[in-house]
Amino acid sequence: MYAAWTVKHKPASVAEIVGNTEAIKTFSEWIKSWSKGVPKKRAAFLYGPPGVGKTVTVEALAKDLGMELVEKNASDYRTEEAVNRFAGLASQYGSLFGSRRIILLDELDGLTGNADKGGVKAITDIIKTAQCPIVLIANNAYDPRFINLRSYCILIEFKKPAASEVAKHLKRISEREGIQVDENALKFIAQRSEGDVRSAVNDFQALAQGKKRLTYEDVSWLGYRDRQDSIFNLLRMIIYSRTSASAKQAVDMADVDIDMLFEWIYENAPEHLTDPHDLAQAMDALSMADVYRGRIRTTQDWSFIRYVIDYMTAGVAMSRQRSKSAGWTPFKFPSRIQMLSRSKAERAMKLSIGLKIKRKCHISASRASKEFLPYLRIIFKNNAEMADGIAKWLDLDDEMIAYLKG
Amino acid sequence: MSFEMWAEKYRPKRLDEMVDQKEIVERLKSFVKARNVPHCIFAGPPGTGKTTAALCLARDFYGEGYREHLMELNASDERGIDVVRETVKTFARSRSIGEIPFKILILDEADNMTSDAQQALRRTMERYTETCRFILCANYSGKIIEPIQSRCAPFRFTFLPREEHDKYIKQIAERENVQLLPDGVDAIFEVCGGDLRRAINTLQAAASVNKPVDAKLVYSITGRASPADVQKMLTTAIKGDFLGARKQLRDMIQKYGVAGSDIIRQIHTEIFKATEIPEPWKIKLAGIVGEIDYRLVEGSDEEVQLSALLARLVEAGYEMKK
Repeated sequence: MYAAWTVKHKPASVAEIVGNTEAIKTFSEWIKSWSKGVPKKRAAFLYGPPGVGKTVTVEALAKDLGMELVEKNASDYRTEEAVNRFAGLASQYGSLFGSRRIILLDELDGLTGNADKGGVKAITDIIKTAQCPIVLIANNAYDPRFINLRSYCILIEFKKPAASEVAKHLKRISEREGIQVDENALKFIAQRSEGDVRSAVNDFQALAQGKKRLTYEDVSWLGYRDRQDSIFNLLRMIIYSRTSASAKQAVDMADVDIDMLFEWIYENAPEHLTDPHDLAQAMDALSMADVYRGRIRTTQDWSFIRYVIDYMTAGVAMSRQRSKSAGWTPFKFPSRIQMLSRSKAERAMKLSIGLKIKRKCHISASRASKEFLPYLRIIFKNNAEMADGIAKWLDLDDEMIAYLKG
Repeated sequence: MSFEMWAEKYRPKRLDEMVDQKEIVERLKSFVKARNVPHCIFAGPPGTGKTTAALCLARDFYGEGYREHLMELNASDERGIDVVRETVKTFARSRSIGEIPFKILILDEADNMTSDAQQALRRTMERYTETCRFILCANYSGKIIEPIQSRCAPFRFTFLPREEHDKYIKQIAERENVQLLPDGVDAIFEVCGGDLRRAINTLQAAASVNKPVDAKLVYSITGRASPADVQKMLTTAIKGDFLGARKQLRDMIQKYGVAGSDIIRQIHTEIFKATEIPEPWKIKLAGIVGEIDYRLVEGSDEEVQLSALLARLVEAGYEMKK
């Protein structure tokens, strides 16, 4: 039910693939030419930016032609044994059964540095004598490492498909999923993807799954994925989100850590929840998020972090039932964080005094700094004589004394 | 006036000197008589004598050289599993020299230990029972894992009753030549609620001002968590100004260092006093206060929890107006 749509709606046939008509035609003709005997170039090198359909093209074509597809990716090229195994496969083609097989070496960019130099050479050697089509895929075919390899391949470039074509693909998915989608919502997602069909489908799923209808309004916040837009939009996204899923998603997009994000939400959410019920609900959600943070501390079981996230994002977003829009209310930097950083030195000082108290008073340093310090301050301000005595008794240094007097 | 912390100076040295927790003291004395003690949990609110009782017990067992047979660890400072593995084990397994065949390890604020550390502790307690007895002090025994609880004799410490509290405070005032007025005593009790350590600290701080100690002085020095401030914050919230109320809360916690537990206790008191809250609402609000209090106890962020409470008060205020 929750399969990734990029897999679930992967084109079953080359006819369904978005864009790159020329490239697909060239590739398909080359594959088909194998039925008339081994062609001049025994390998095809498909290259182009991520998510434009290189791998999908190979997979769909194999399916269309009823050929067996043997896939390998970067990690498989490293060991000699693995390379030899696929060398074996490559040499068998047609020799006995006239079997129809394509060998696909994906993610060639993954071969790195000198360590894999041998890998590229081994691949080149295999191509020279291959008895079946070998397909190489990489983002950049013009990497110097591939100089020699390139001359044994036909090079086929895959380009970013136009936004309108991406939108068409999304439309097809929406029909299969039974979701009604506004035309301009699709266009928006497609445009944002900049030709990366995979990310467009992922975005679309995140936004539309479980919905009957997707409007432009629902998707417009996607724009905030751009990192420099940062925390403000993230907050807007969380506080004004209509679904739990989209509110929770904000966390994945956030570049800040969870505790920091919590502070931002805690600081800013109240002003955007004008209705008292909504406010109480949201603050309760934050309170629960905080309770789970405490449980993480005591159990050291970080898997509880998911409930922290649930409460602080979806919990807050779903509290917003009756509130009117707060109008243009600027988000503020969490004042607690301001205070914290200001008082970092102070905390260190408190703790060192706490340690002194601990030595005398059978109490933990942290507790001492809470339970004794406020009183010591009063004493040090009001009664020099008593202060001197206590300073000696606790063995406080001048800095500590100055702090308590300050 | 003497120049050390009075809370320490007036800490009882022997079980006989302890002012309250009579039943507990009796049982502890019987352990001393029998020259044997089981593992114990001393549970109860702060300032009720848990650590004191443990120290007194040790002194009664071993005499003035008790320090050689005793180790005090504080779980708030050393709460990790490593401490249990290293420090505790090393101490626990070496045999005690002397008449009493075991040593005593006081583990203070044990409820702050991680559960992993507690699990490790449980095994250590079992293995070295012969050579070491553990006294775990905790505010809430519920935060100690079951297997440890079942291996310990439980002792429940409670706040000092009002008379005992007053008697003790007045006695210290007298010995230190402090002029303590009756409403000063009331104020100390109101602010500290039976926590004797805080009460003594409050008295000493008030005394340092060199004026007769009255209610006004007590409130002025106790971090301004005067009932008036809490009341003001409550009113602000009930009127619907959440941000204003949160600001006041922040000041109390951050600027004046008032403890969250104090504020919540006072809110609880104020709710039942406040005339602007309709009667049927009071118990409802008390329930909400209780829930937040519990979350605080679980070790959550004071400001976050209390502002959740303030938001509930804003909501209640809004409903009342209808």
